[in-house]
Parts: sequence; structure tokens; C-alpha cells
Amino acid sequence: MDPLILSLWLIRLAFLALLYLFLFSVVRVLLRDIRQAAREPSTELGRLIVAASPSGEPPSGSVFPLDAVTSIGRDVNNSVVVEDDFVSGEHCLLTFRGRAWYVEDLGSTNGTYVNGDRVDGIAALGFGDELQVGNARLRLERSHR
Amino acid sequence: MSAASAQSRPALPSIDFSSIRPRPRWRELWLLLLVGIALSVGSVSLGATERVQAGKALSFSPAQSQPLLAYLGALLLANLAQVLAGRRTDQVLLPAVGLLGGISLLLMERLPQNLVSQSIGGMTLGLGQVQLLWLLLAVAIITVLAIVVRSDAWLRLYKYTWAAVGIALLVLTFVRGEDVNGARLVLRLGPLSGQPTELLKVIVVVFLAGYLSEFRPLLVEQDSRIGPLRLPPVPYLAPMVGMVAIALGIVVFQRDLGAALLFFLVFLLLLYVATARSAYVILGLLLFVAGSYLMYRLFPVVQSRVDVWIDPFRDASGSGYQIVQALHAFARGGILGTGLGAGLPMVGGRPPIPEVHTDFPFAALGEELGLVGVLAILGVYLVVIERGLRIAAAAADDFRALLAAGLALVVGVQAFIIAAGNLKLVPLTGITLPLISYGGSSILANAVVVGLLLALSDKGVEPPPPPRVGGRLAGLRSRLVQSGR
Amino acid sequence: MSGEGRLAFGRLRSAGLRAGRGAIGQNVGRAGVTLALAFVVLAAGAGYWQVYRAQELSTAPDDPAVVAAARNVVRGRILDRTGAVLASSKKDSNGEPYRTYTDPSMSPVIGYASRQFGTAGLEHTYDGQLAGVVSADPIQQLLSKFRADPNDPQDLTLSLSLKLQKAAEKALGNDKGAVVMLDPRTGEVLTLVSAPTFDASPIANPSTSQKAFDTLRQDKDKPLLNRAIQGLYVPGSTFKIVTSIAALSSGAITTDTSYPQQPKAEKTGLLVSGYRVRDGHHPFTDDRALKFPEAVEVSCNIYFALTGLRTGGQKLADWAGKLGFGHPIPFDLTTETSQVTNGGGKFGGGFKDDVEVANAAYGQAEVLATPLQMALVASTIANDGVLMKPHLALSFSSARNGTHTVAPEQLADVTSPDVAGEIKSAMERAVEGNFGEIFTPGAAVPGIPTAGKTGTAQLGSGEPHSWFIGFAPVDQPRVVIAVIVENAGHGASRAAPMAGDLMKLYFDTFGR
Repeated sequence: MDPLILSLWLIRLAFLALLYLFLFSVVRVLLRDIRQAAREPSTELGRLIVAASPSGEPPSGSVFPLDAVTSIGRDVNNSVVVEDDFVSGEHCLLTFRGRAWYVEDLGSTNGTYVNGDRVDGIAALGFGDELQVGNARLRLERSHR
Repeated sequence: MSAASAQSRPALPSIDFSSIRPRPRWRELWLLLLVGIALSVGSVSLGATERVQAGKALSFSPAQSQPLLAYLGALLLANLAQVLAGRRTDQVLLPAVGLLGGISLLLMERLPQNLVSQSIGGMTLGLGQVQLLWLLLAVAIITVLAIVVRSDAWLRLYKYTWAAVGIALLVLTFVRGEDVNGARLVLRLGPLSGQPTELLKVIVVVFLAGYLSEFRPLLVEQDSRIGPLRLPPVPYLAPMVGMVAIALGIVVFQRDLGAALLFFLVFLLLLYVATARSAYVILGLLLFVAGSYLMYRLFPVVQSRVDVWIDPFRDASGSGYQIVQALHAFARGGILGTGLGAGLPMVGGRPPIPEVHTDFPFAALGEELGLVGVLAILGVYLVVIERGLRIAAAAADDFRALLAAGLALVVGVQAFIIAAGNLKLVPLTGITLPLISYGGSSILANAVVVGLLLALSDKGVEPPPPPRVGGRLAGLRSRLVQSGR
Repeated sequence: MSGEGRLAFGRLRSAGLRAGRGAIGQNVGRAGVTLALAFVVLAAGAGYWQVYRAQELSTAPDDPAVVAAARNVVRGRILDRTGAVLASSKKDSNGEPYRTYTDPSMSPVIGYASRQFGTAGLEHTYDGQLAGVVSADPIQQLLSKFRADPNDPQDLTLSLSLKLQKAAEKALGNDKGAVVMLDPRTGEVLTLVSAPTFDASPIANPSTSQKAFDTLRQDKDKPLLNRAIQGLYVPGSTFKIVTSIAALSSGAITTDTSYPQQPKAEKTGLLVSGYRVRDGHHPFTDDRALKFPEAVEVSCNIYFALTGLRTGGQKLADWAGKLGFGHPIPFDLTTETSQVTNGGGKFGGGFKDDVEVANAAYGQAEVLATPLQMALVASTIANDGVLMKPHLALSFSSARNGTHTVAPEQLADVTSPDVAGEIKSAMERAVEGNFGEIFTPGAAVPGIPTAGKTGTAQLGSGEPHSWFIGFAPVDQPRVVIAVIVENAGHGASRAAPMAGDLMKLYFDTFGR
């Protein structure tokens, strides 16, 4: 067999093989994405459960799935809107940083409390901790799915 | 699309340019690198084969290096531009689409260049050169849409305007269009000409996404009752069905059956995605069967298409010629293919399949890359669809979910219809293979689809890193709050 | 729209908007699965055309690659079994090749390859191999696409013998008819003559092509029709062999079976369902009730009509089917389908009624057979009940590829060696027996025991067709023959002596 002809053949097969190498790499990316999505279901990093809400908005018992950055306050532009006279317009900010949740008071009039302790600037927030904003008490919980 | 962005001004939020930071896109770069290597090897294979066939000494250098280099350069620039824009958008779509476009470029360079001749400023360009121009423009459109589009309001709020534009486009084509192979497909306005149905498919998806997301709760939950019968909420369904019916009707009058089938299937799939009511799909399929039968009886065009589909070999040199030649091409390809440049034996100075560059690129690739290549190409389409649907599933609201799903489905369904037509699985219709077929309208419309999908895939603000010092947080807070409003 | 921030992609997500979105995610998944399944169907479709149908379509004579190759390539030669050239190529003034053919007697088999009129016959069937587009070696076939001269034209060696073919054509003279000779052990066809024949060379020559083709097409004698494989004839008494196979194999009769009513029926006719089957009286056998071997020897129609009725239409049709009746015979050329009945009747096997079965049993009624089919019937008896697939191509060879031989294939195991042996000895009596010699003069090859059966196809008007099928030597048959001469009278008068002469020539040429 003519070696030149043979090498032409090989390069032709190499093209087909490279198409599959590309597909293989892409599928690896897709699988990683799917696995990641399964680990962090729909980027839901945790949930806030309304333990008590004297004002009725949000109703107690309602659940808020949390994104990495969630703002709480009376203003309608907040992710979680709490209609309570003792809650400021922009009250506090929940952030998920790396592995843990943090709560940051945004200079609210009546303060933000974690398990009864007033937050000064920023504080870590563990799963199961209770957050008090005005008269509303909210509990941070791990997502189930 | 230029008219569209003018309308949308009032709803666009101002972009805070100071918050834009470059973000590396290593994954996309790595995949683009693979695409570049694969296409270069393909080009070398094509070049060597062409030289052997011309009776020259065998040597290994690419067929024509400049077009491929220009194309790969454009893809790298697209990557760089997105890195600078710093958005957290999908990193797989561009390489996948880039591979399809590159295969298209190799194929169009390999086909006889005189299939197309376009004069631009005194220069006469052949098939490969014109396609290269469209592909470069497509990469530009994808990049610009991926970077610039940050709001969907201009699509969502003006859905009826879009519907009107679409219908106007169709009516204009019907009145002023030119016939191609018995179908009224091409609209010529001044120096520009194109196939409006390609653009229309994007508009239809935008309209359907807007309408369905607005009325989704009603469509899902409400029923209208006539006596004991529970029916879907007719008043809410009517405008949408009406729009689809108008589109279909005009399409049928234009004899563009492929586009009609595409619109209808995408409509049904999207309706299902929005409502999860299989009753709609069943009703739609029943309507489809009834409509198909009616069209079969009424239109000789449809009848002859179906007859040719059932047994093309009966009139292999007449009405069945195209499809029979396509099947022969698949058969000649076999499992491993003849190799780029080695297939498609010329008959009287022409390729054996007429319209190979628009309607039958899949058959040509089937011959030259074989079953192995065909499966790879189908795989790349599935990747594009998967990415689109994943973007839809992760979207923040109904409109974006439906828009992304619709855009992904329109590409997937169109690829299916023409590939299945080439393979004699369904009757053949004159529709392009997305991102591979020759043609400006098709390439650019699909570029718009991909660009919008990329924009929709933005994952938004990254979670900030863990705090080191309490004092740094003031800056972070103001940044988050300001950019959010 | 509660604020612009909500409209911007990738900004803060609002928890409130999430209601019911899980459902859309699921629906999207289902739509995706549907589309993925559709793509699996596409892959299956591609596999069907690119693997399952690939060989057939890519080597079809109307494939553009085959057509393009055929135009420019010097086709491989076609040779007879001894290596004599039957078809070769010349070049015209433009340097483009065209075909020339050695002998017109081969034309109905080999056909022609013409630039204007395409290909026919074996030139059509093996176009791919002769033009060199198809290789017998799959690896060579794959590699060939990268050559500067990708085509590898192959020489085709046929099982036909030019000498026998010429002799058979000459023997038919000005009559219309056909001769088929084959080797029962392998199915190799030695002679396939159709008369009148035509000369293919002027059709292949570009300068005379048009005129020659027009003349041939208008010829009333239809020389383009290959009578040996496409002519359907009433087989007459030669079909009694088929009835014998069905009756003896199914156990409906034994060789000792006789019918007491038979001698009388020869004079008065046999009453079947109110219809009289008539036959001439056999003066040699007195008024004896005949047994099977005698009935074959004197070709007693009444005996076989009764045997057919006892066997039944269904079994008759079944065994005929095993022999090749009722469906196209797999062969190098397209064959016409032989039949035992028009079909559609309510009676078993598709017959109308008893009367049709009785008449079909001795080869009249609606029975129609090609000469090749009747040769296969004799071949099955000669080869101890096993029918070999008939074939013309012996081997393909080229300098690049070497030689690839076509292996013999078994087509059907029709009946037991015992039954075949019983019929064989009855057919030997029909040629060599005391009465047989009177009925079948000249069929016996001098010095070699010969077996056979004559036939006289009664037509509505005009002289009957003259048939003979047979083989020799009886104990280990090496050659089978089927002869039909149109409108030549009784089988004994024309076909039988011709068969004897041709078989003698076979043994003289290829050894005793």
C-alpha cells in the first residue's frame, strides 16, 4: 500500500475522530453540569421558613427558596418582602459565600437579630438559626431536594 | 432586527458599565481549540483529496487556508469579546455552533463554486466565499446579542407588534415574492433578498413565548364549559390559534410546506411546555392529520410530494430524482464515508444532487463523512438542543423559559425535518439545515437564535467571596444594591 | 412589572416568581426527550441507507458514480469458462472506449453496454464490477477512493461455454426457441441460448448505435427478449416430472400405484366433475393398468391426471413452489416467474377446480414455465433431490485484486434421494426403454446412459411447441438440458434429437 495514500486515509479518519473528541469533551461538560445541578438543586442554596409573622404578610409557614443574594425589607423590590411597621425599607441582606450563609444589617432602624442576638455589621447564619426582622421571625433551613 | 431595537429603548435598563469585569471563559476556549483542530484536519484532508483527484502529487496542506483561518479567528474574537463583557453565559453553545458552521464552510468550499455567484463591488464571489461572509456576519451577530441583550422587555412587551411584523413580512412575500421551484420563497427588496420564513420562525417563537407566559395560568387551570363538556379556555386560546392559523395559511399558499410543518410542530411542543396538557397536543395532532389529508386531496403539489415520498424509485429519473440521488449519496458514503472531496461524482459537470448546497447538505455530508460523521453531526445538534433546553429549565421566569425552549426547539425541529426528508423518513420539503445549509437568511436567523440563547443563559451576579474583614462589606453592599435596582 | 431590575437578565431573582416553574422545567425535559427520540429515529434511518441498503444502492447501474465510471473506464473483459473472450473494449477516435462482442449467440445473455442506451443483460447486472466501481474485496473498495485511478475494472469469467452456445444456436436454426444446459452439481449454466438472437456489437459502437437499436426494437420476432429466462411456455408433458415429485414426495402414490379405470379412460376420456379429460390410446401397452415407471415411459396423460387429483392442488403447488414456480428465480439476470395456475381459485393451491388440477398435472391448463425453470426441474432430479442455485458468473479477477470465485449455493432441498432415484430411473426408461425409444428418438447419447422426458405443448391453434428435458449420465449426472422449439410439433420430432446431439457435444468437449 502506498504510504502516502495510507496517510491520507489516516488524516481522513483523524477528522472523524476529532469530531468525536469534541463531542466527548462537550458531553463531559454537560454531565458535570447535570451533576452540579443535582448537588445544588436549581441553585437553591437554602430556604427561609416564616416561623411567626404578626402582620400576616408574608403569612407564617410560607417558604422562600433562597438565591445566593437575597434582600429582605418592606420595599417591594426586595427578594423577600416583609410588611411590618418595624421593618425598614431595605432591612438586611442574606448572602451565600463559598460555603456558609451570612446576614448583613443594612442599617435598619430596629435591627436584625440572630437567635436573639443583635447583628452588628455582619454575622454568620447557620442552618436552623432564627432570624428576627421587626416582629417577623424567619428560620434558615437546608433545602431538601 | 434594527427596527426592533429602536422600539425597545424605553424598557432597557441602563447598564452599569463600571460593574463589568472581564471573566475568563476557559471551557469555551478549550472547546473552540478542539473545533479549530478538527476543522484544520478536515481542511487538510479536503486539500489532499482534491490534489490527488486533480492528478497532482499528494501533499498535505489545507485546501484554502485563509477562509478557515478567518472563520476560526472570528470565533476566537467572539470568545475574547465575551471574556471582556464578563457575563456568566453558556460556554458550550458557541463551540458547538462554531463546529456546525465550520463544517458548512468546508462543504461549501468543496462543492462546485459556480452553484452561486454574487457580485459585490465588481468582485464575483463563489459559493464558499459568500458562505464565509455570512458565517462571519453570523459570529458577529451571536457575539453582539450575547453581550448587549440584557433585557427581554423589548421582546415581551411588543409581542403583538412582532406578530404584525411577521404577518406583514409574509403578505409582502406573497404579493411581491419570487418563485423558487414552485414555492414563493424569496423576497427581494432593493439589493437585499432573503427568505422571510427564516426570520419569521424567530418572530413566531417570540410571540408564542410572550403570549403563553402571559396567559399560562389561565391556559393551565381554566376550562370553558359547554354543557357537560370541559373544553380548554377558548377565548384565551383563540388569538394564538388565529395567529398560527394565519401563518400556516399563508405559508400553505406560498407552498412552503417545510416551514408550515416547522411552525406547527414548534407551536405544539411549546404549548405542551407551557401547559403540560397533553390534550392540547392530541387535539393539535388530530387537526394536523385532518389538515394534512385535506391538503393531500386539495393540492396537487402535496399529493405529488407524498407520492414521491412513498416510492421515489418508481420515477427515479423524474419527480423522484432528487431524493433518489440523495439516498444514493448516503449509500455511497457507507459507514466511514468517501472522505471530504472524494464523494459526489459529477454528472455532466454538476453534482448529482440538484440544490445540494441548500436542501441536501446532509446527504452530501452523509456521503463524504459516512454514517460515523452523520451521527457526530446529529450529536452536535443534540448538544445545541440540550443547552437551549437547560437554559430554559434554569430561566428565572416563564417568558424566558418559554423563549429559550422555543428557540432551542425551532433549531432542533428544523434540523429534524430536513434531515428526515433527506433520509426519506418524511416527505421532502424545501427547508434549510440550520447553520450548515448555504444561505444568508438561514444562517443569520439561526445566529439570532443562538445569540438570544446565549443572552438568556446569563447566570447573573456571582455569589461574592466570603468576607475577610467586616469593613469591606460596605462597598459590596452598595454595588449589589445599586446594580440590582 | 414591578421594577426594571426584574426584567434585566441575571440580576437578583425574586422568590415569588418561582411558583409553578418546576413544572415548566419538567415539561422542557419531556419535550427534549421527544426530540432526542426523533434524532434516534434519524440515526436509525441513516443506518438503514448507509449500511443495510448501501451495497445495493451504491452499485446500482443508475448510480452516478457507476455511470461516470462506465463512461470513461475501459471495462473488464467477459470470458467463457475456457477463457475465450466474449466481450472486450476498443477506443474510438476520441479515445473513449466502447464495447465489441465476439459472438451473437451470447448477446441475449451478455446484453450490451452502450453510451446511448445504457446497459442490459450481464453488462447491466455486473456493471459495477466490470467498470471497477465495486470491488469483491471490501478493504480494496474502501482504499480505492483515494487513488488517482480509483476504478479497478474486473474481468468476468462466465460458466457458459462458447462452443456449446454456438452449437445450440446453430441447431435451433431459423426456429424460435431456447436451450438451457447446466451442471446439476453446482448450478453452473453451460448454455443459455435464445433464438432468434441479435448482434450487440453495433449497439455498443457509438457510430451505429441508434440505427441498430431502432431496427431491433421494431423486429416482430423480439430478439431482445431472452426466451430462455423470460419466455413463458406451456410445458406439456415435461411438467409430469413436477407432478411426480409432488405425488411421490407427499406419499400420495408409490411407484407401484396403478389406476384400474385408466385403460378404459384412454378410449372414453376421464370424467372429472362432469368434464372429460381425453388422451390418445397407447397401443403398445394393451389394456393394462400402468404403474408409475411405465406411465412416465409412455407419457400417459390419464395416469398423471389421476395422480394429480390424488395428490391435490395444494401439494402440487407446494412442491412446484420448492422448484421455483410462483416466484422469481434468484439468478444473474431477471427471470420471468413460472406458474402452475393463474391463482386466486378457491381450490387448494389457487386452482379453480378439480378439472384444472387434472389438466395441470400433465402440464396443460394454466401451467406456464420458462426453459430455465424446466431445466431446474431436471437438475433437481439429477442432483438427488437438491436444487442448486443457477448462476452465470464463475469468477471476477483483476490485476489489483486477484481472483474471487463465486461459490455454488444450494437453493432448495426439494425431495429425498429415494424419490429422485425413482423418477430418475423412470426418466431413463423414457429415453432408453423399449417404448421410450419410440417416443424419444435421438435423445440418448451413444454410450452414455441418458434420462429425459419429452413434452408437446398443445396450443389453441397452430403447431404445438416441442419440449425436451433430460440429463446424463444417469448414475452421476454432469449435464442437464432443457430444449424448447416453438411450433415444431411433437417433442419427439425436434427437441429430443437436438438435446441428444448437444449432450454428446458436451461429453466430446469436456470428457466422458
